[in-house]
Amino acid sequence: MDNQLWLYLIIFLGGVVLAVLVLQLWRVIEHRWKEKKEMTSRISIEDTLKHFYHCERNQETPLPESVAGILRTSVADATDVLTEMERHQLISRAGNRWQLTDSGRDYALQVIRAHRLWERYLADQTGFPESEWHTQSDKLEHKLSHEETEALANRLGHPRFDPHGDPIPTADGRLPEAKHISLAALPVEQPAEVVHLEDEPEAIYRQLGEHGIHLGTVLRVLRRGDDGIEVWLPSGTVQLTTAQAANVSVEPIAESEIVLPEPTVPLSALKPGEQGRVVNISPACKGAERRRMMDLGIVPGTIIKAEMVSPSGDPTAYLIRGALIALRREQASLINVSRNLTPATEQTPSQNEVTA
Amino acid sequence: MTTPTDPEKIESILSTAEKLRWDIGSNFHDHLMEAIYTDAARIADRAVSYPEKPPRFDLDRTIDRLVTSRVWGFPLMLLLLMIVFWLTISGANYPSQFLAWLLLDNGHPLLKTLAADINLPWWLSGLLIDGIYLATAWVISVMLPPMAIFFPLFTLLEDFGYLPRVAFNLDNVFKKVGAHGKQALSMSMGFGCNAAGVVATRIIDSPRERLIAIITNNFSLCNGRWPTQILIATIFIGGLVSAQWAGLISAMAVVGIAVLGVFFSFAVSWGLSRTILKGEVSTFSLELPPYRPPRIWQTIYTSVIDRTLIVLWRAVVFAAPAGAVIWLISNITIGDAVLAQYFIDWLNPLGLLVGLNGIILLAYVVAIPANEIVIPTILMLTTLVLGSGGAGRGVLFETQSLGDTAALLQAGNWTLLTAVNLMLFSLVHNPCSTTIYTIYKETGSLKWTTISALLPVVMGFVLTFFVAQVWHLLV
Repeated sequence: MDNQLWLYLIIFLGGVVLAVLVLQLWRVIEHRWKEKKEMTSRISIEDTLKHFYHCERNQETPLPESVAGILRTSVADATDVLTEMERHQLISRAGNRWQLTDSGRDYALQVIRAHRLWERYLADQTGFPESEWHTQSDKLEHKLSHEETEALANRLGHPRFDPHGDPIPTADGRLPEAKHISLAALPVEQPAEVVHLEDEPEAIYRQLGEHGIHLGTVLRVLRRGDDGIEVWLPSGTVQLTTAQAANVSVEPIAESEIVLPEPTVPLSALKPGEQGRVVNISPACKGAERRRMMDLGIVPGTIIKAEMVSPSGDPTAYLIRGALIALRREQASLINVSRNLTPATEQTPSQNEVTA
Repeated sequence: MTTPTDPEKIESILSTAEKLRWDIGSNFHDHLMEAIYTDAARIADRAVSYPEKPPRFDLDRTIDRLVTSRVWGFPLMLLLLMIVFWLTISGANYPSQFLAWLLLDNGHPLLKTLAADINLPWWLSGLLIDGIYLATAWVISVMLPPMAIFFPLFTLLEDFGYLPRVAFNLDNVFKKVGAHGKQALSMSMGFGCNAAGVVATRIIDSPRERLIAIITNNFSLCNGRWPTQILIATIFIGGLVSAQWAGLISAMAVVGIAVLGVFFSFAVSWGLSRTILKGEVSTFSLELPPYRPPRIWQTIYTSVIDRTLIVLWRAVVFAAPAGAVIWLISNITIGDAVLAQYFIDWLNPLGLLVGLNGIILLAYVVAIPANEIVIPTILMLTTLVLGSGGAGRGVLFETQSLGDTAALLQAGNWTLLTAVNLMLFSLVHNPCSTTIYTIYKETGSLKWTTISALLPVVMGFVLTFFVAQVWHLLV
C-alpha cells in the first residue's frame, strides 16, 4: 500500500515538473515568435518609410501598389501596413494621396542614416566586395537602436557621405540642398563632375564602374542620341544608355575648374626597368586598401620603378622610395602614373636649388 | 579669455560650420591625407641627400634576378627547402637518441628505484613517474632536437632576406585560393611545428589572409606526425610489396600524405576566403627587404629562445596532465576492468565505422597535447587490452623492433584499412592543444580558435568514413 502511494506521488510530482517545463518552453517560443513578428513589422514600416521619402524627393506619389512592390507582398498586406503606419501618425492620408508626416520624415531620415552609415562601415572597415554593401545594409539598417546608430557614427568618425556619394543625414535629420542634376539632363559640352552614383539597380551601378565612371570623375556629354549619349571621360569616350545616364548625378563645373588630367597609364602597364610618376590613386581603391597604399608612400609625385616580375607572372616588385615592394596586378592597376617624370605645372625643387 | 562669449556669435559660427561640412566634398579626408604625405615627401626630399647609389644595391638586384628567375627560381627554392629538411631529420637523430637514452632509458628506471627506496606508495610513483614524468620526458626528447635545428635554419634564411622572395615567387598560386604569398612561409614552418607555424603568420599583415593561414596551418604535416606516418607506412604499405621496393613505396606513401596536406591547405583556404572569412579586411603588400649577411649567433639565440623554448614549454605544460590522465585511465579499475577499457568499448563502434578502432580514438583524445605520444599511447593501450606484453599499465613504451610493433598491431586486429585511415586521420584531425592554445593567443578570439580546432576533426571523420565505406564496398 505504502509503495503504491509513493509511486503516485512520484508520478504526480513528475507531472507537475513536466507541466512547468512545457509552460516555460512555450513562453520562450512565444516570446521569440513575437519578437520576430515585431521585427518583421518594423522592417516593413521602415522600408515603406524609405519608399515614401524617395517618392517625396522625386515628386512622385506613393501608392499601395508601389508599397506592395517594395515589400514584396500583396496589395492587401501593403494596405494593412499603411493603415498601421497611419495609426502611428507616421503618414497621413488626404483622399487617395498618402504623404509623410513630420515625425514620419524624421523616422525615414534616421533609417536612411543607419543605412548609409552601414555602407560606409562595410566599405571602410570590412573586406566585403562593393556589390554587397547595399544588400547587407538593407538588412542591417533595421537592427540598431538610436544609441547604437550614434555609436556607429562615432566609431566611423562622423562621416558625411556614404561610399556612393550620398550625404548621410545628421543625427537631427538634416541634409544638404541637392545641387546636382542627372547626367541625362546635362547640356552637351558642359563640363561636370560626378557627385553621386545610384546604387540600385546593382547591375547598372556595376556597369558604370566598368565604364570608368566613379565619384569625382570629370566628364562632358559629346552627343545625345535617341538610345543614349556619348560621354567624354579623361580615359576616353564611352557610350551610355539612357538608363545608365539617369543613375549618374553630376554637378556642372566651370571650364576653368577642369584640371586637365595628364595622360596616365596604370602602374601595372610598366615593364621591368620602366619608371613612372604617380598622378593619383583611382577612386575605385577605397578603405583599408587605399590607406595601405599611402602608408607605403604612394602619393602624387612619387617616382616608382618596376623592378621585376615574379616567375609565376604576378605580383611585380616596384621600387618605391628606396624600398622594394611587391604589388599584385589588381592593385597596381588602381595606381595611375605618368611616364613623364617631371610634372608640367608645379616644379619640385631640384637638387641644385637645395645645394645652392 | 574672460570676455563673456556672445551666444549669437557661437550660433552663427556653428551654423556656418554645419553648412561648410557639406560643401567641402566627399573625398576631403583623402585630399587632406594626400597633401600631408606629399608635404612630408617634399620636406624629406629637400633635407635628405642620398649617395649616388647604395653600394650593395646592384648586388641585391643580381641575387634577386637569380632567385626570382623563371628558370632558376623554383628549383633553387625546392633545393633549399630540401636541404633544410634533410639537415633537420638527419641532424636531429643523434640528440634525440641521446635524450631518449638519458631521460627514458636511464632517467625513468632511476626515478623508479629512487621512489621504491623512499617507500613511495605504488600509485603515487605510478602517477608521478610513469604518468607525468614519462609523458613529459617523451615529448621533450622527440620534440626538442628537430625544432632546435629547424627553427634556427629557417630563421637564418629569413634573416638573409631569402624567405620574402619565396613568398614573391609563390604569391600567384596563393592568390588564386584567396590567400597571401607569405602563407608559403608559415606552411613551411608548420612542417616543423604547427604552433610555431601559427606564430609565424604574424608576418602576414592582412587580417583575412592571416586568419586563413592560421586555420589551415594544421594541414602542414608537423614534426610530431612524420614518425607516425613513417612507422605505419613502413609496416603496412611497405609490407604490400617485395622487400626491394618496400622502402620506396612507403616513402612515396608518406610524401603522398604530406602533398595531400598541402592540397587540403589550398582547398580549405579557397573555401574559407569565399565563405566565413569574406567580410574580413584584406590588403596585400609584400616588402622585399635588402639582403644582408645573417647574424648567425643572434639568430640562433633568438630562434632558440623565441620559438623553440616557448613552444616546448607550452608542450610540456600540456603533456604533464595528459601523462597523468593516461596513467589514471589505465590504472583506475571499476568493476572488473580499467577505465580505459570502458572508453575503448564505447569508442569502438564509432572507430570501426570510420575504419579505425576505439584504441586509436582514445589515444587521439588523451594524447591531444602532442602528436609525438600518439603511437606510444596506442601501443600501451593495445597491450592493456590484449593483457600481455608492454612495460606495464599506463607506462608508455616503444617496441624493440619494427617486427614487434607489427606483430602487436596485427594482434590488435589492425588491417590495411586501419593503417591507411590512421595515416589520413593523423593528417586531418584537430591541432594539438599547444597549437590550439597558440591560436587562441594569436587571434584572441574564441570563435576562430573553435573553428580551427573543429573544422579539421570534422573533415577527418568525414574523410575516413568515406574511405572506409568505399573500402568495404570494394574489398
